[in-house]
Amino acid sequence: MAKPKTKLENKPQTVVAPAPKWNVVVLNDPINYQGYVVIAFVSVLRITSPEAKKLMRTIHQNGRTTVWTGERERAEMLALELQQWHLNALLEKDA
Amino acid sequence: MPELRLSMTAEARTVLTDLLKLIAPAAARVSVNRAQIPDNDLEIAGFWTENLSAHAAEEARLLAHAFIQAKGDPAVIILRDEAQACAFLRALSAVRFALRDLVFADISDDQLEDPSDLDDDESLPTEKRHALACYACFGQLQQSLIRQLDPEAFN
Repeated sequence: MAKPKTKLENKPQTVVAPAPKWNVVVLNDPINYQGYVVIAFVSVLRITSPEAKKLMRTIHQNGRTTVWTGERERAEMLALELQQWHLNALLEKDA
Repeated sequence: MPELRLSMTAEARTVLTDLLKLIAPAAARVSVNRAQIPDNDLEIAGFWTENLSAHAAEEARLLAHAFIQAKGDPAVIILRDEAQACAFLRALSAVRFALRDLVFADISDDQLEDPSDLDDDESLPTEKRHALACYACFGQLQQSLIRQLDPEAFN
């Protein structure tokens, strides 16, 4: 049985670059208690208390950490909610 | 979650209520000024400013109302659910930031973390020592509320 002939076409392909990701970064502050930060993270980021504690400790040790990475609109919403909790939250474009 | 309670002496309640009348309006302003609002998009910046202002003003009202309603000795503040308790926590945080920025901006973070040494510092004006005592009281109320919301939060 003969193989069907395949014709290769050189069609130009459009490559869509993925949308850049954004980081929600929280900085250390001297006013809010560690327990307060844990409650804020559980409430805003919808994570468990142990996960929130891990993030809080990283901020305490390093001065800052990324608490969420993803698409811009969601990142903006989370940063705003964290600021409603009076945390030093800011947005950074992911490298 | 059942209602949450905060109790304090009637004297503390009176002193804190008087201070709140002075600082609460400024607390909302300080909250917005401190916020890291994205400045590359005017529409978003406007939305954030409006949202944070409204939020802070609402929480300042909640705080003032709770202290006015707390009668008796000890005076008890009752928060009906977790959402209200979280709003109360945020409002207390705003007030502490406002005191930090407006009243004792010249005191270092390390000193502020353990302000007991400052209580006896007679070089500080009386008003500042008074504000420091209130700052510590607001912090104690926050810690009590945090322990009720999440007993493991400080462990």
